[in-house]
Amino acid sequence: MIKLSRIKVAVLMLILLLSLTGCGKSADGKIHLTFQIWDVYQRPGMQAMCDAYTAQHPDVEIEVQATSWSEYWTKLEASAESNTMPDIFWMHTNQLLYYADFGMLADVTDLYDDVESDYYEKHFSEISRRNASGSDGHLYGVPKDKDNGLLVYNKEMFDAAGVSYPTEEWTWEDLADASQKIYDKTGKYGFMAYNDDQLGYWCFVYQAGGHILTADRTQAGYTNPGSVKAMEFYVNMQKEDWCPDQTYFTETAPGTAFFSEAGAMYLEGNWNLPQLMENYPEMRGKWDLAKLPKCADPIEDSESLDQDGRATMSNGLCYSTSARGKNREAALDVIKFFGTEEAQRIQGENGAAIPAYIGCEETWRAAFDSYDEKLDLDVIFDQFDYAVQAVYNSASPKWKSQVIDELTRIYSGNQDLMAGLENMERIVNTETAKKLEK
Amino acid sequence: MNNKLSAAARREENWGWFMVAPTIIGLVVLNLWPFVQTLYASFCEHEGFGHYKFIGLQNYVDMFMNAEFWKATWNTIYFCILTVPVGIALALLIAMLLNANVRFKGGFRTIFFLPLVCAPAAVAMVWRWIFNGEYGILNQILGVKIQWITDPKTAVLAVAIVSVWSSIGYDAVLLLAGLQNIPKSLYEANSIDGAGKVQQFFTITLPMVSPTLFSVLIMRLMASMKIYDLIYMMADETNPALTDMQSLMYLFYRSSFVAGDRGYGSAIVIWTVGLILLVTLVQFQGQKKWVTYDI
Repeated sequence: MIKLSRIKVAVLMLILLLSLTGCGKSADGKIHLTFQIWDVYQRPGMQAMCDAYTAQHPDVEIEVQATSWSEYWTKLEASAESNTMPDIFWMHTNQLLYYADFGMLADVTDLYDDVESDYYEKHFSEISRRNASGSDGHLYGVPKDKDNGLLVYNKEMFDAAGVSYPTEEWTWEDLADASQKIYDKTGKYGFMAYNDDQLGYWCFVYQAGGHILTADRTQAGYTNPGSVKAMEFYVNMQKEDWCPDQTYFTETAPGTAFFSEAGAMYLEGNWNLPQLMENYPEMRGKWDLAKLPKCADPIEDSESLDQDGRATMSNGLCYSTSARGKNREAALDVIKFFGTEEAQRIQGENGAAIPAYIGCEETWRAAFDSYDEKLDLDVIFDQFDYAVQAVYNSASPKWKSQVIDELTRIYSGNQDLMAGLENMERIVNTETAKKLEK
Repeated sequence: MNNKLSAAARREENWGWFMVAPTIIGLVVLNLWPFVQTLYASFCEHEGFGHYKFIGLQNYVDMFMNAEFWKATWNTIYFCILTVPVGIALALLIAMLLNANVRFKGGFRTIFFLPLVCAPAAVAMVWRWIFNGEYGILNQILGVKIQWITDPKTAVLAVAIVSVWSSIGYDAVLLLAGLQNIPKSLYEANSIDGAGKVQQFFTITLPMVSPTLFSVLIMRLMASMKIYDLIYMMADETNPALTDMQSLMYLFYRSSFVAGDRGYGSAIVIWTVGLILLVTLVQFQGQKKWVTYDI
């Protein structure tokens, strides 16, 4: 065995101890910030923004850390409890209220007061601002991006079945007819209606004049006549020959099925498009984008949004920092930069996401520059005109998985649709009421 | 007897404490203290970010009233029934084969031990492909179309198969060590007396290996009752068979980390600990009947 002298041991221990304290302002005199994200594909874009910032602020260094979506929230909550949150991180609408209402996030309402007093109102849409607001109406994040869901279709299958491509006039009936024809002619699946909210039944519910939550987000609307109409249509599609059932989708994601040419259509989020182009080179040019089909006869009521049968879900992330972080001021300055036109442009041009900053949206087209085969990207930008803010309230984390369970029971035939919708409404109302009591 | 220890003996005792201190401190800090915290949390409602409000037995009342919880308890027990006896019987068989004089013994031992070295996530991924109802190789070979992972009837079975497959090597190595401790002379004497192989197994091998078998049994049963990772990897949230395959630990994960209901999650954990404790106590009582400690 190697014999170490006491001095050597002491020195070793000291080195170990020092390595443990290596955070904050370190030996090189720079401020080291961490930036946590959940999407590996957006890392280059985020890195480019950080590089632009550190070029102007050589005393700051930012490390971009990417993790998976599910791990992200477990980690972030644990770090919030122990006050070791990353200096800068993405916030999602689903979770923002939970964090903001607990005082975990820094209030950034006044961040741009030295620039313009109405900076947020001027440069970000109402949906973007609402997505970054806490229950008290203050902003707890700088809007990052916006997105929506669209219909992706396989041109070859439409051609083979002699069906014309989807247009913006397409109704639910057209969707079903085309699916049936494609199935009859080619044996492939038509529209693949899988169990999803944002990229699934939520869109149909709002198209039919229904709602998931009331505008004030306090009451659920699953049993509203419009919602019921949409759910009946959406869920029952899986009973048709041309749509796979939920057991199929559990093992084969609709995107996988689409790109292995097993089905002709499905709903996809625009944020996934760049990686789909990259990952499936042999499919380029064979598929395109269309607006979501609309409901021909929506059932209007007092809670209906003025949608005239059209709707897609739009969500958006924001950049936040901890209310009690060690490097709070430095981090605030970075996210202030992230909300400027310059940074939002960099984000778009790197193809990371559609910038939330009004006027910069179309920079995101650059994500597809390297491909000769073109997608009809106008569809995405046009859809923002009637997009509905993704549904959430402060109790979302509590009711979301319970609602999924209930839907799963409906899909597997263990629950009657109407009884299931009543349960979902009760679940959301109960959890929301519990949250509001506090 | 002299109650007073000599100075040297006392010093030796102090050294003893000093030597075990790291382990004891580790156990207290990493196991005992979290357990106490979990116990306390199970009587609380989690309001968010580590703030707990005492609500007495409410979590337990909710839990015992919940059909999903009882289903998960049954799923866990069913999973143990499926995996433990078969897994241990197979492990013993493999251990005996590896103990015999076969060629490439070292190679075989490595192969059987390999699944344990693989990350559970990777194992589950590969098995998911094998079980895939549309394209899976298992269905291709069998010439059937079973939705292994999404059919409520086969979902637990599928997870059980993967679990047995991945734990068998480890158990076999432990049992192999037990087998190798059996003196060869016992077998020689026995065969001179004219005993057959089967008789040898029941009169020598089984009693002699029973202490190892007992510890393997306890460990395997505990591990099976805590099954979580395979289910997490093999089942998605939208899997129609989820309620038919989710174990207590998976339900705990969903309550604590997906829904953020850590008080309720803690109550599930305490219930599971109680269940494991009960089963282990029964085993320790039962072992007196079949485990042989002296030759």
